[in-house]
Amino acid sequence: MAPTLLTGNVAAAWGARLARVDYVPAFPITPQTEIIETLGAWVDSGDMPGRMVTLESEHSMLTAAGAAAATGVRVFSATSSQGLLHAMEMIYTVAGWRAPFVLVNVSRGLASPITLEADHNDVLAARDSGFLQIHCADCQEVVDGVLLAYRLAEDPAVRLPVMVNLDGFYLSFTREPVNLPDPAEVAQFLQPFDPGAIRFAASAPESQAVAVLGGSPYSYFRYETHLAAQNAVSVYGDIAGEFRERFGRERGAVEAYQTEDAEVVFFMMGSFATKAREAVDRLREAGQRVGLLRPRLLRPYPADIIAGALEGVSGVAVIDQNLSVGQGGVLHTELSAALYGREGAPAVLTSFIGGLGGREISPEEFYQMAAVTRQAVETGVTPPPRLLYTETELREIRKLQSVALVERDETSPRGGAGKPPGEEDKQ
Amino acid sequence: MASRVLGTALFRSGFTVQDAPKYGAERRGAPIFSTVRAARGASEGETINERGIIHRPDLVVVADDTLLAIPAAGTLQGIDPDTVVLVNSRESADTWRHRLNLQGELLILPAGSEVEDRADLPHIGATCAGAAACLLGVIEPEALTTAIDEELGPLGEEAVAENRENASAAFEAMIAHRGIVTEGAAVPAKDYEPPAWVELPVDDASIAAPDIRAAANSVQVRTGLWRTLRPVIDYDLCGKCWWVCSTFCPDSAIAVEGDKPVIDYDHCKGCMVCVGICPPHAIGSIPEYLAQQREQQTIEEGEADGTDPADR
Amino acid sequence: MSETIRRMKDLPSTHLLGTGTPMCSGCGGLEALHQIYDVLGENTVFVNAAGCMTLLSVYPFTPFRGSWLYTAMGSAPAGAQGVRDALDILLQQGRLPPEDDLQVVVLTGDGSAYGMGMSATSGAMDRDLDFIYICYDNEGYGNTGQQYSSATPHGATTATSCGSRGYPGYKKDLFSVWSAHRPSYVATVIGSEPLDLAKKIEKARDMTGPRMIIALSPCPTGWDYDPKDSVDIGKLAVKTGVWPLKEYENGVVTHTRVPRDRPPVEEYLQRQGRFAHLFRPERNEELLAEIQDRVDHYWEEVV
Repeated sequence: MAPTLLTGNVAAAWGARLARVDYVPAFPITPQTEIIETLGAWVDSGDMPGRMVTLESEHSMLTAAGAAAATGVRVFSATSSQGLLHAMEMIYTVAGWRAPFVLVNVSRGLASPITLEADHNDVLAARDSGFLQIHCADCQEVVDGVLLAYRLAEDPAVRLPVMVNLDGFYLSFTREPVNLPDPAEVAQFLQPFDPGAIRFAASAPESQAVAVLGGSPYSYFRYETHLAAQNAVSVYGDIAGEFRERFGRERGAVEAYQTEDAEVVFFMMGSFATKAREAVDRLREAGQRVGLLRPRLLRPYPADIIAGALEGVSGVAVIDQNLSVGQGGVLHTELSAALYGREGAPAVLTSFIGGLGGREISPEEFYQMAAVTRQAVETGVTPPPRLLYTETELREIRKLQSVALVERDETSPRGGAGKPPGEEDKQ
Repeated sequence: MASRVLGTALFRSGFTVQDAPKYGAERRGAPIFSTVRAARGASEGETINERGIIHRPDLVVVADDTLLAIPAAGTLQGIDPDTVVLVNSRESADTWRHRLNLQGELLILPAGSEVEDRADLPHIGATCAGAAACLLGVIEPEALTTAIDEELGPLGEEAVAENRENASAAFEAMIAHRGIVTEGAAVPAKDYEPPAWVELPVDDASIAAPDIRAAANSVQVRTGLWRTLRPVIDYDLCGKCWWVCSTFCPDSAIAVEGDKPVIDYDHCKGCMVCVGICPPHAIGSIPEYLAQQREQQTIEEGEADGTDPADR
Repeated sequence: MSETIRRMKDLPSTHLLGTGTPMCSGCGGLEALHQIYDVLGENTVFVNAAGCMTLLSVYPFTPFRGSWLYTAMGSAPAGAQGVRDALDILLQQGRLPPEDDLQVVVLTGDGSAYGMGMSATSGAMDRDLDFIYICYDNEGYGNTGQQYSSATPHGATTATSCGSRGYPGYKKDLFSVWSAHRPSYVATVIGSEPLDLAKKIEKARDMTGPRMIIALSPCPTGWDYDPKDSVDIGKLAVKTGVWPLKEYENGVVTHTRVPRDRPPVEEYLQRQGRFAHLFRPERNEELLAEIQDRVDHYWEEVV
């Protein structure tokens, strides 16, 4: 099939359509809305079988999604940012039901202050829940990611819900050429959902998601979820291999770009990683041995694969488009934990916080991050974490502050009219 | 409540104390557990580092002897020959020692007089605390009454006075055994038994999800042990009505078999709703311990004359 | 049960709900639930919200012969939506034989129904969800030790309203809130009136769309009375007019029981420790009169 221009949102909707989902509980939120509008239009026109229902909140949406999956149908849903947080109780809850379905998250920074553009704090808030996570760098990966996610979620050795993450604006509203897989091929790749023993039917009564009392049974059930998630590393590897053979695209747990002989490697995820790819090319042209390592699979964390790809690398510039307040970048923390004590691990991990709330990362910033990391390797001194923020930006915010924080009587059209009545004479 | 009184009494006696109930909000009628730890040297800043359940108790106080019969209650978990067990019971110490096959000290706190109405039941907590205070040997009676004043003050002067009296009586009743409880040693870090940790198997989701496929298997839970009063149907009076008792019983513990209602004593919690609503007043109420004593007698008589009690 | 319930004798004498649950001794909610379960039967899936009855199914035990799904305090009706929709999809696709279909029943306490779960409930009614909703209303957050909820009556002592005037707020009129959505059916019931309850549940069972039931659930633990009085107190709630038994259908509210010669409300109040402060150390005539007036006013509007 010839490529078509699709936004990331429409690519996500195509993923659901190709996966032949039965049920779409929905709730709108910028920048995800186009996904559910697209699906809604297809359902209404009859282009897509299945049922869609708009709930009154994301919390309810996730509850309905989990409940429908627990009943035995294939479920798709999508949200973003505040919506994901509103649903967070159910994100944890339904993962423990072992009810597999796919949730697309369109990343957007979290309040406060409330904003619209992308960063990864929303999806990372769900990282400990039991949902697996696939992160996309372009619109093609979005449609592919949804299909891979269903295979992974429904695999009997896994049976966990999977989140597919795409960045708001940079992917959600950005059109790129996308190869839509042939539906017949997809049907081969993704068989109908077999709910197995976890479902509802009058002839097979079942009490699902019941309470436990005490730490011992709780430990068992919670850790089993973890073991299933760990299973998902190798299951994902197999599925990605099959996907490559069938569709010709490499979708491994990590993307390793020019890492073979690299001295310095950028480590980041999401759509900004394609900017890093571009920077790698320019740096290579400038004679520097730089590469990019990007986890597609963040949960389960493919620690061995990542460590293997970084063997022989001297320094890693970890670029976190997120911020664990009071700690720093989440990817940096997790990579440090994964590499600690491993033989042949990179000597230096520098930490950069960039792209918060969709802030741009410029080519020069990538070049400089590589330079700082190389210097740290040479001197053996790792600099403290750095926020990517320029003098110009600081000047701009100072200007905004001067507007926002100006004394009330200076802006009020009637001078002192802003004061409470009777106060005029006192000053 | 007993644990708070005992805890405060120890605290007022110069001990560092830690007391806790095992769960927060509990079901009315369901068994409750609590623990008290104490260490000397409060003034020197001694702290208690252990938390949660006591793995090796020096003293176990059982306020309701029916709990001893439930292994799941774990009443005697972790006891060793040095542990003193105090049981509130109408039975003798020998009977219990024999039944439980205990080597250590077992003492009986005589159960109170017979009561027909739950509202008249004495506050067993203060009684247990009073007896325990005496057995520990480190609490003076004054500290005990101070603790009752502090802990039960909000219940009003009448309740405080009554509980003080019960606690003091229990203290006196145990005076011959004062100080019998010895301080146990901490778990040694040398020559200890290592935990038998296992690698958790990766189980299939069909069993590794918290799902139940059995139907109505809650019947395996013997809530009949909650009962302090037992409803008994006098079939001579039973009007064989439209089974009022069966409909109103909150626990579905009265079924109609043939043409008569039968109370399922394995599960009846003893709420006594049926006693109040039976139209011809055919359901009476007797204290559970009396009913059990009678049953025990019947069994023993059966053993004596060689007949199987099931045959009668 | 297929026979129509007309008289007390039609009520079942063997019960479907298993014994051995951890509900309190004398629980008025469990009394109502086991009566309801006898009518609805085992071809049901109970979608539960956090509350006392979450503990009905604690691993590995359940009293249900049918199915159960625990969700969360705020979204049980959304769970019902997911289950209902999924069953419909499976039926439509022929992946579930018709005899395997289930009646979807939400089971929540008043804390969820009157408060946290309200928007999810409202949304389910807006969407005309085909389900039954049962609220066991013990007028407070019972599972955590009876703090006041939006269902707590005026003047009642709770763990968070222990002052001499009790709870300063007023019990939310959930029946009217629900009726305003114009669902298929709304009814109040109580376990101490089993015939009225069974008739209503039977009626609800045989309808489609949102069928909403509020069961006042006398609570020995939270209301502070001896468990043996559960039925008496429930009957008094009806007799004194505190708990009107009624139903809503096709825009019309019908009272299924209009108590004649209502005894004073204090006969109901004085049986419960949570209202003891209205009588001791001295009678709070003002508050008692206010409570009585509100009940009188309600019935003046009815008759």
